[in-house]
Amino acid sequence: MTKQPIPKFPKAQQISFLKKLHVDGQTLLLSVVFIVLLLFFSVAVQKFFTPRSITSMAFQLPELGILSLAMMITILCGGINLSVNATSNLAAVVAGLFLTRMVPTNLDPGLMGFYVILAFVIAILIGFLCGILNGIMVGYIGVPPILATLATFTFFTGISTGLTKGVTVTGFPESVSIIGSKTIAGVPIPFVIFVLLTVLTYIILNHTPFGFKTRMIGTNPIAAEFSAVDNRKVLLGVYVLSGILSSVTGILVMSRTMSAAYEYGTTTYVLLTILISVLAGVIPGFGKVIDIFIAVLILQVLSTGFHMLLTGIRGSSFFRDFAWGVLLILIFIVNYFVRGRSRTD
Amino acid sequence: MLDKIRYKRLFRSNEFVIFLILLGLSLTIGIINPAFFTVSTLFDTLRSSIVFLILAYGLLPIVIAGGIDISFVAIAATTSYATHMFLLNQGYEGGVFLYYLIAGVAGIFAGLLNAFLVTRFKLPIFDVSLAMFTMWYGFNLFFVGATANFSLPKGTVGFYNIFILTAQDPNVGETGLHVSVLLALGLGLFVWWFLKYTTLGRGVYAIGGNREVAIRSGFSIQSIFFVIFGMMGLFSAIAGVTQAFLSRYFNPVIFITQPLDVLAAIILGGAAITGGSGSIVGTTLGVLVIQVINRALILTGIPVEWQRFVVGVILILFTSIPALRKLRAKRMGHSNLVQSE
Amino acid sequence: MSEPIIRVEHIRKKFGGVVALDDVSLAIYPGETCCLVGENGSGKSTLIKIISGVYTPDEGDIYINNKHYKKLTPIDSIGEGIQVIYQDFSLFPNLTVAENIAINHQLAHRKKIVNWREVEKIAREGLAKINLTLPLDELVENLSTADRQLIAIAKAILADARLIIMDEPTTALTQKEVIALFKVINDLKERGISTLFVSHKLNEVREIADRTVIFRNGKKVLDQDARGIDITTMEYHMTGRKLDSTNITFSPPGDFNSPLLTVEKLSLQHAFKDVSFVLRRNEVLGITGLLGSGRTELALALFGELPVDSGHLYIEGESALIKSIQQAVRNRIGYVPDDRIQQGLFLDQTINDNIVISIIDRLITKIGLVRSRVKKDVSSEWIRKMAIKTPSGDLPVRTLSGGNQQRVVLAKWLATSPKILVLNGPTVGVDVGSKAEIHELIRQLSSQGIGIILISDDIPELFQTCHRILLMRSGRIAEEYAREEIDEQYLYQRLIFSDNPTVVASEDQWNAR
Repeated sequence: MTKQPIPKFPKAQQISFLKKLHVDGQTLLLSVVFIVLLLFFSVAVQKFFTPRSITSMAFQLPELGILSLAMMITILCGGINLSVNATSNLAAVVAGLFLTRMVPTNLDPGLMGFYVILAFVIAILIGFLCGILNGIMVGYIGVPPILATLATFTFFTGISTGLTKGVTVTGFPESVSIIGSKTIAGVPIPFVIFVLLTVLTYIILNHTPFGFKTRMIGTNPIAAEFSAVDNRKVLLGVYVLSGILSSVTGILVMSRTMSAAYEYGTTTYVLLTILISVLAGVIPGFGKVIDIFIAVLILQVLSTGFHMLLTGIRGSSFFRDFAWGVLLILIFIVNYFVRGRSRTD
Repeated sequence: MLDKIRYKRLFRSNEFVIFLILLGLSLTIGIINPAFFTVSTLFDTLRSSIVFLILAYGLLPIVIAGGIDISFVAIAATTSYATHMFLLNQGYEGGVFLYYLIAGVAGIFAGLLNAFLVTRFKLPIFDVSLAMFTMWYGFNLFFVGATANFSLPKGTVGFYNIFILTAQDPNVGETGLHVSVLLALGLGLFVWWFLKYTTLGRGVYAIGGNREVAIRSGFSIQSIFFVIFGMMGLFSAIAGVTQAFLSRYFNPVIFITQPLDVLAAIILGGAAITGGSGSIVGTTLGVLVIQVINRALILTGIPVEWQRFVVGVILILFTSIPALRKLRAKRMGHSNLVQSE
Repeated sequence: MSEPIIRVEHIRKKFGGVVALDDVSLAIYPGETCCLVGENGSGKSTLIKIISGVYTPDEGDIYINNKHYKKLTPIDSIGEGIQVIYQDFSLFPNLTVAENIAINHQLAHRKKIVNWREVEKIAREGLAKINLTLPLDELVENLSTADRQLIAIAKAILADARLIIMDEPTTALTQKEVIALFKVINDLKERGISTLFVSHKLNEVREIADRTVIFRNGKKVLDQDARGIDITTMEYHMTGRKLDSTNITFSPPGDFNSPLLTVEKLSLQHAFKDVSFVLRRNEVLGITGLLGSGRTELALALFGELPVDSGHLYIEGESALIKSIQQAVRNRIGYVPDDRIQQGLFLDQTINDNIVISIIDRLITKIGLVRSRVKKDVSSEWIRKMAIKTPSGDLPVRTLSGGNQQRVVLAKWLATSPKILVLNGPTVGVDVGSKAEIHELIRQLSSQGIGIILISDDIPELFQTCHRILLMRSGRIAEEYAREEIDEQYLYQRLIFSDNPTVVASEDQWNAR
């Protein structure tokens, strides 16, 4: 019969074994980097690997982590969401304004608790609405995602700025800080939420038709249409989910800082989430939630590690950025050699 | 007959549409607030466009080649700020030229670094730029300095007031057009000439059109990338230095929130986000439109806190309308299937 | 007999452990049109890559214009006048006609500065050489495939080509454009420029080739004057076995009184008008027509991708509204596209995922989740049922041959349990052996109850699978035949018939054979 040139792929058995472990080269590489960094900082900095410092890291990283999940799913479906941070801030601002302007201050704690929860629900609703706008522009109107979310990023920030007149919203009731500062069995609540949302995102992406279609649309949107996938609905869903995840971040920020600002994080925060996706090897159609999780951990370790290493020297976060950039390039280069010098052919 | 077709194509081109938008906008604003139609407005608008234009001119070839880069702002900030701190340290009291020289050379090297990583390791332009963006700002803030610096060398102080044209304005008295406008003009002309009249420049369009075919045809992708990234770095450095002298202080995080705005101006000017098209004229008009909108927001009395919101609405409209038109066209003419017999 | 332009002798080439070319010798002389025919994997593409310098043979000699080359590079090959025209025609869609034509000249002469006047001059020269008129400042992306191909040829001539190599040049051309292309090739022949092309359209090969060269399993099995060979002989040499279409058993279709699908006066502006027909149960209905006859648009309309302007559809007697692909699938209609790479497959995703994509919604458990085990079982079953040759369903679809890739697309649609399956060019780019198997599959499917509409311009294919054949012309159904009523030659004549006299000339060519 016909002879085919042998495809350049490992044998079937190798593939299934690794697949069973849900591991592949990228995850392995990231895990190795994470462990190396962990070891380095444990040795270089005395108090690095203590419960106190680990807990502190676990309080900080969920915000970036959940925002990175919000970014990742849009990249998976072939797009991008530059408005994640703006959505997060807007959600926090609206919820914050609700709490400070529309709720009487001298309520008894029980009732206040109810209003706080209502405020959080409002935040999520804002995230939902932001997602709808993005989803309509990208999915139904057909605006290229980078342009659409650039526009909505400006739009959402504009609303935040207008509503707050540039002033940070403060003066929240005590109960707002519960989520951001308390622990469950020693584990910070934000971290628990982050893990839960990571698992949830994993389940959605890998075990629902919606997640499956998301991946396929990212791989080949035309073939998806021809395979009876309703691209528009799926894209809408992806951006809505992204918006909701962003708003959860807003809640966490609000809770930790007891404030809501239109400009928390600025554009660089968005770029960090993209960086995390790039590091995790997320491309349209392909990407694993676990890789995002590890990438976030890596960034947090770098952040805290340098902060502690350089105590006394101002601006350790700047050094972290510098190191982050260099690390990224190094990982790119390693990837290049590992993949056998052949990229997409 | 051929000329008629040429005119039709001219009028349907992106650049012409943007020109009309600019015209329309200006007229509308002028009607709402006649203070718009003054010499000082013209000079001020041009002045605020200069640095943006230089950045955009440097980024344009990259976009035409099909890439998106955000590191150029970091290069602008780092080269200008580091040069300043270095010269300050040396007790430099001379003029601006040395700034441009040192920053420019540094900028070229920074750009070449991008090009090296992209060509040697076959990395996506965007990913590399992301890493460089983070790295350069981090480097600048940590190793050079984290605070704005207002101590300008004696020889540079006068630069702020060098005008090539002055005029009397009814509202503000004497105003002038800053000499750096010539700088922007010159750089723009150079890139225009490069893109239109050099083989390397045409190669940029070729890469953006179909990279594989470009390689097959014999273009040296490596050379082209090194040239356009070098240019990008150089232009970014020039922009950073010019911005510092126009505002009379050096800011280590200058432009950090603006890379996407520059990109938006280029796209507004008719470049395709996927590459293969774009022009200096279009880019210039795109930048001017954005500047006019910004100025309009001030002149039409919209409160400061709501200006961003208005820009956001405009962006949403500006991006949705062409997309909607494309949708309608697709629905009405399935022309890609029907072939002439 | 003059000296050959290129002569390759005893070429051997292996990839890994697979022998791609085994002791192949071939010579191409000036002024001849030579066609390479063979299944996928037979070695013809490899040989072309060796001739153009992209691959180096493991053994064997290459002589170009009598010069011996131990190691031939693409630049050498081009320098000797061998020009390959690739599928993308090596054109830049975002640049003008003039610039596209002149660009290689600019690069070859290492010009740093662009003189636009000179560019125009070169472009005019190039177009003149093949008697083509096109607006010089039109962007190439706005041109038809045929025009782009001609520009590619103009470029090749400008580069002093002595041998032009083309891969399946007529795939996207209308009949008129094919005639224009063949005229150009003949003109070139008169001027001593040879053409070598790969084609699977055996009837066209017969029409244009001076010499036919057939490859099978890496060996050259036939190399002779094209005029002496008929299509059956070609197929025999390509596959090594006889494909007998006379002994095919067709299961009887249902009757006209209770049709599966009734189409009434379907119209779509600029595409087709007043199309009415009936599809019986257990029937394979062929729809054919030249490119531009509306056949593809009709297929897409039935699938909901191009909703019609007016007309009615009835499925099993009940009125059906099909305004979107989702609606079509809900009405149990499936569509296998002609461009399977772009429209049918997710090349980098796994075979398993490609198979279940259209039925993923049906695989959920009570809480709305999809279990991997279930996905795997479903796709494994289909891999088995469709005899898809792969060591694992977890490999990307990209690793499969054309025939197997097509089976994946078929599996995807069969998994949706369709009542009606619309197949658009299902065996394009599929090797002859797989082709026959797919035809058998089509016959089986129809006998099992699925109604099949087969859009194709491959006449033998229509005869091997269809009960009835509809012929479309200029957007209307012009003629209808039952398979037994006509033969292949007659259908071909009716296919290319038109009121346009230039087309009739080609019919004379056919009759003269």
